[in-house]
This record gives sequence, structure tokens and C-alpha cells, in this order.
Amino acid sequence: MSVLVLVGTRKGLFLLESDDDRREWELAGPVLTGWSIFHAIADPRDGTIQAATNSEVYGATVHRSADRGETWARAEELGLPEDTGLTLEKTWHVEPGREGEDGRLWLGAAPGALFRTDDGGASWTPVDGIVRHETRDRWHPGAGGMCCHSIALDPDEPGRMYVGISAAGVFRSEDGGETWTPANQGTAADFLPDPFPELGQCVHKLLVHPARPERLWQQNHCGVYRSDDRGGSWERLEGNGLPSGFGFPLALDHREPDTAFVVPEESSENRVTPNGRLGVYRTRDGGSSWELLTDGLPQRAWGAVMREGFSSDRLDPPGIYLGTQSGSVFVSPDAGGTWVEAAAQLPPILSVEAAPSS
Amino acid sequence: MAVVLLPSLLAAEAGGRNRFELEAGTLGEALRELPVANLVLDEHGDLRRLVNVYVDGVDARDRDGLATELAGSETIKLVAAIAGGRS
Repeated sequence: MSVLVLVGTRKGLFLLESDDDRREWELAGPVLTGWSIFHAIADPRDGTIQAATNSEVYGATVHRSADRGETWARAEELGLPEDTGLTLEKTWHVEPGREGEDGRLWLGAAPGALFRTDDGGASWTPVDGIVRHETRDRWHPGAGGMCCHSIALDPDEPGRMYVGISAAGVFRSEDGGETWTPANQGTAADFLPDPFPELGQCVHKLLVHPARPERLWQQNHCGVYRSDDRGGSWERLEGNGLPSGFGFPLALDHREPDTAFVVPEESSENRVTPNGRLGVYRTRDGGSSWELLTDGLPQRAWGAVMREGFSSDRLDPPGIYLGTQSGSVFVSPDAGGTWVEAAAQLPPILSVEAAPSS
Repeated sequence: MAVVLLPSLLAAEAGGRNRFELEAGTLGEALRELPVANLVLDEHGDLRRLVNVYVDGVDARDRDGLATELAGSETIKLVAAIAGGRS
């Protein structure tokens, strides 16, 4: 067994490969040169690489490769209906459908858009339930645009899924994406007159725990949160070791629903990792307490990790993957205990995703 | 036949071809025939803001835009604007 890590950067896609020890890494690429890779995955169903690709000049699209990046095809149909008055700005996140949903993937995009494909990525259909949502006039773009950056599928309930949109908040669907309900109770929007509105929160990353799907984790502009009732209510978790509630990335341990990892930044006004170090923080008790992980991580650094620049794999123990704006990829092969620098001096990293690779 | 010349990124997206000869009555028709039409035009058919198109050396935006009529012997050159060069 080997592990493939797709590293999306501002200037192309890099591929890192290792055996399942995950301590020695081979770097390949870049491919898709000239494109900013906001997010790239290897579809666990067939290995196809799907990349959310953006160009300041040529717009936003999705590229796919069935041969590990040797050749690429581009989405043929991808856009927003003219009567919405919206134009596609950026593609942000590709989420594969469930096992058995052949050809289905979801795409999060700006401005506040969700798409679905049922043909493996050739044609993408806008999801009206989001694009025409009745509350849309109360959504506002965050600093990165009004991005739909998180798409989380309930592994057990085929109709249930979630999206996170900045700054509209978290929305849940129980009918496969037809209709959507805000799910933000208890999450703060300190930048609005009403700090606890129905929607308008600036969610930064949303994940569902695969082994306990009623449990959701959220890194928000205003705090770190956990929900144990499918987003019905949220509990704020920072303090007890976490130096800041502000941050973007979030990763989980697929074996342990009480474990989560975050990489806080000092504040919205000063977006660097706190205390002059690249600090990864882990909780193993559902967010009641947090510990700083240091073994193998730079202890003198002013880093930044983007929302897709942090992920975990499904091995045992899980690998944790972190890519910085300074172009380094750090990997922990033992769920955060120790870290190795798998690559350095890459362009600014926007995403890291690991996949099994035969 | 009008000749369309593509910059390197668009040529890479067109399978490595940087030169196309097309029969088209207008600039818009010519661009829509390209295999990279959806990179040059947005989903509503408008020319992307940072794509410049020169028809025999004249910026198409200074002519009739996508409605610029073609006689069939023009050289159409696509160029990425020098704006948009953010790191």
C-alpha cells in the first residue's frame, strides 16, 4: 500500500507519494501549471483526480485526470443560470459522492454556489436549493469571497448532507440537496449587530465525523465548535489550552470522535500562527482541553494554513497532513504525535488531501 | 479563413494547439468554436474581463466586441491582460 497526497498550490498541483509508513516522501509535479489549485482529491471510488482550478484570467473550472495527472479533461458545462444574475467566480471544494453513487460528485463554489455532477465531472448542474435559497439576500462575502468551501455527506443517511458558506453559515439538507435549512444555533457572528443570528455566520471549515455522523466539528471565524445533534445546536470549545478561536483548518481522527485538530491564527486582524510558532492543537476529549503538538514542527515560525491545507487519512493510526503558505508540507504518520517535513519551498499551498494509492 | 492564435495556457488546454483556422461571421462565433471557448467566455457568453482579443492588431473592445464582423482573412490574437498578475 502507498499513500498519495495531492498538494494544491497557487501555482499548480504537486503529488507526494510514500509507503504507508509515511515518513519518506517522493515529490512529483507540478501539473496543471498556470492554475491555482484551490482543492484536489483522488476519488476513493476510482482514483480519478478532481481539481478545483482557478485562473485570474480564464476563470474557474474543474479539471480531472484518470491517469494520475498525465492527461487532463476540463469541465464542459459549469456555470450559473443567467436569470440568477450570478456569474461563477471561483471553484473551492470537490466532494466525491458516496460508494455506489457512480459518477456523482459535489462542487462548492463562489458566489455561494453548489453544483452536482452525475457524469464524473464533465457537466455540473447548479443546485437550486442553494443558488436560489430564500435567505440569499442575507448572505455576505467574507474576505475570500462568498465561498461554499465545505461539503459534508452523512455516511449513513443518503439524503443528509451539509454545506458551509462564508458568510452565510452552515446549512443542512435531509433530501439529497433539494432543500436546505440553516444550522447555526449557538455559533457566533461577532461582526454583526445580532451576535447570534439565524444565519450569516462565517464558518471557515465544517466536517462530519465518519464514525459518529451526528457529530459535527466546525472552525469558525468566531470560535471552534462541536455539534452532537447534526447541527441542531453548537457548543463553543476554545479555552483550556487553545490560544485563539480564530483559524481556518480543521482535521479529524476517523477512529476517535472526540479527537480533532486545529491550527489557530492569532486573530482576524493578525493572521499568523500564535506565539511565533507553527502550532497544531489537538483535543482528545471533545474540545474540553487542547494540547500543543511540537515534535517535528517548526518552533520559530509565523505561518498560515489555509482552510483546505489540512487533512487526515483513513489509515490506522491516521496520518495528518498540513501545508503552509510558506510552501512546506508537514506529515504526522501517528495522529499528531510526531511530524516530518515531506516537502519544502513549494508555492503557497492551498490544499492537501491524502488518498490510498496501490 | 480567420486565424486564431492562443497564448500558452490556452494552447495547453487545447491539446497543445496554438493556431486555429476558422470560418466565422463574427468574432463571437469564432471564439465559440474554439475548444477553449469556456475559458475565454464566461457562462453567459461574455468575454472574460482579463482576456484581450486583437483583430488584426486592434482591440476588439474598441470595435464591436464579440459582434465584430469578420471578412474571413483576419488574424485574431488572444492575450492575457497584464492585470491579473497577482502572485
